[in-house]
Amino acid sequence: MKLKSLITATVTACLVTAGSLSASADDVELVHDKGFWSEALQKVGDSAGEKTGNKIIESAYSAPEQYKAFIQSSVASGDMPDMFTWWTGGIFAELVETGAIAELDGIWEELIASGDFDPSVRDFYKVGDHIYGVPLHLSRWIALYNKKQFEEAGISEPKTWDELMAAADKLKAAGFTPFHATTQDGWRGFIWFQEIMLRTDPEAYKGLHDGTVAYDSDAVRNAFKIWSDWYAKGYFSDPRSNEEAADFARGKGAIYLIGDWAIGLVEAAGMKADEEFGAFIMPNQDPALPSSVIIEGGPIVLSKAALDKPDVVNALKYFVSVDGANAWAAASGNALGNKNATPPNSVVAKVNADVDANGTLAFDRWWEAVPADIQGEAVAEFNRFMLDPTMETAESVMSNIQALNAEYWANR
Amino acid sequence: MTSNGQNPSDQEILDRIGWSQIRANERKLQRKNFWVAFAFMLPAILLVSSLLLAPVAFNVYLSFTKWAKFKGIDQFAGIANYVRLGTNPFFADALYNTSIWVVASIVFPLAIGLALAVFLRGVPFENLFKNIIFIPRILAPTAVGVLWFYVYAPDGVVNRFLGFVTGGDVDIGWLYQENTVTPAIIATFVWQSVGLVMVLILLGLSAIPRDPIEAARIDGASSGQVFRHIVLPLLLPTLLVVTILSVLAGFTVFDLLWVMGASYPGQRTLSLAVFMYFEAFQKGSWAFGSAIAVIIGIVVFSVTWIQAVLQHRVDRMMR
Repeated sequence: MKLKSLITATVTACLVTAGSLSASADDVELVHDKGFWSEALQKVGDSAGEKTGNKIIESAYSAPEQYKAFIQSSVASGDMPDMFTWWTGGIFAELVETGAIAELDGIWEELIASGDFDPSVRDFYKVGDHIYGVPLHLSRWIALYNKKQFEEAGISEPKTWDELMAAADKLKAAGFTPFHATTQDGWRGFIWFQEIMLRTDPEAYKGLHDGTVAYDSDAVRNAFKIWSDWYAKGYFSDPRSNEEAADFARGKGAIYLIGDWAIGLVEAAGMKADEEFGAFIMPNQDPALPSSVIIEGGPIVLSKAALDKPDVVNALKYFVSVDGANAWAAASGNALGNKNATPPNSVVAKVNADVDANGTLAFDRWWEAVPADIQGEAVAEFNRFMLDPTMETAESVMSNIQALNAEYWANR
Repeated sequence: MTSNGQNPSDQEILDRIGWSQIRANERKLQRKNFWVAFAFMLPAILLVSSLLLAPVAFNVYLSFTKWAKFKGIDQFAGIANYVRLGTNPFFADALYNTSIWVVASIVFPLAIGLALAVFLRGVPFENLFKNIIFIPRILAPTAVGVLWFYVYAPDGVVNRFLGFVTGGDVDIGWLYQENTVTPAIIATFVWQSVGLVMVLILLGLSAIPRDPIEAARIDGASSGQVFRHIVLPLLLPTLLVVTILSVLAGFTVFDLLWVMGASYPGQRTLSLAVFMYFEAFQKGSWAFGSAIAVIIGIVVFSVTWIQAVLQHRVDRMMR
């Protein structure tokens, strides 16, 4: 009898659990490769269910490489997910060129008319004459700085290039390491390269993305000279750190260049936002150049067939609505560019204010902007330079990247 | 003798005993046995064909095509992918590092495993030592990689130990430098694999008969002579099996290189397997990645075939 009861209870429990986990007909699946955001995405999905009746079910794939392969094969087979995340830049254009992705021009008209989004955000998802994505997150690449070290060195947020250099000197003199940069996980090598390029020659920075500027050109060489010089002066932290955010929180570098999504990581490492660390947008070398900032804007896209499914369209609209953006900010600490939503933290709010005050222009992040075929090998070369930051290595790095770059554009 | 006084021919004798019927029955039984055996083998044949042979065949086919992202196989490309291998700057480095891996994965686990197996026999707490040495084998390679990544970190245990021994600051980036990254990861591989090698050799040692060893000792042979002239030859079949396993492990090692080499700029050159992964998955060059896989397959097949021939010769020698 006991055994029978136990079996009955177990089967009932399994059925109840299965029932609670299973998706209903109104639910919409969001396929993505960002497992670290699964919990946060599901919170937004639950909120979508409460507010619209269309619950979003997040479905995380494993590593980005396998995810890309999955999406590529699903597009090839014509059986693709209704709603999924992707990347901006060259790889986004490649996806759109398949003709399998839905145009979202109509949705964007509503988003801009409502005042939720600035038209400049829309351009991140524009290929040709149409818009094909909405932001999953819209992260600005800013300089986080250690307020205590700045105070001890007697400096404030640098507004000009000269002030930045003076700040670095003063930090160094005060016994601190001015800049924090690592090769952690193998992909971070491009961060300071893209920033120095943008600050010294924004046109050349853009030219790198479409093959019109070579990686062994004078503009790139100049950037490497500055980078190498800063290393020679001892401005940078040990590139071999494998705990980048934690090491910033430990005070191993005073200025940490990263996407604003890292604010949560720094807070998790024990530093209080606004109180112990702040943020500023890096100044340009030439004060006459307009203020600019690098943006990382991971998109959510719809399959062409999904545009005819009201549940999917509703779910997408909810995600970028004020309610959706607030739920996303609360769950993940990320902003997605909705101007009427509450910023996820005070640091992002301050950067928003700076951007509005200075009319700051947005530039694509190097990683997304360059062709996917060369990004991995190129970033490995940047890492190689960081581990041996001499001009001799820089010349070899520039030559190797340019060989890949030239081959890619020659075959286009 | 037949009635006409002549000896019956072989055919007549066979006809008399109904040989053709016996043969027919035997053939019928063989056919029946074949189909019974085939029915039992069918699940395995289907599994091996569909999950192993078909993908391998498709991979070979893929290596002769051009792959277009989001479209799949675009067109037949002949040997273009193989020609491209010859001009790719990373392929030669990956091949060179793979050959280092193969040699190292045979020599070090075998030498250390053999030494441990021989010296641990009969020592106090023998089983305890064996278990401790075997423990790394039961850990997932990825977990081992993460663990040793921190051991080799600039402020990790290895540098601290060296600093303690030398009395100064040691700041070697073991997993960041070209000249140290491969030896460092090989050392981790050996640490993990030596336990299994030791156990296999211990099994081989336990199967060696005591008689020739005792006879040699009575004849005045030293321990070294007994080991060299009796134990080692009798252990050869086991050592060959261990060698085959080590070669396969050396060729296909991926997890450790992926985890421990993550911050090394030349990670894609650490082995052919890693290079293949980068090309196929990161760059989406599936056809080119398939060509690399075919090269790996040919080399592994060749090496194991040579070892199989050697194994056969050793077996005949042992008989």
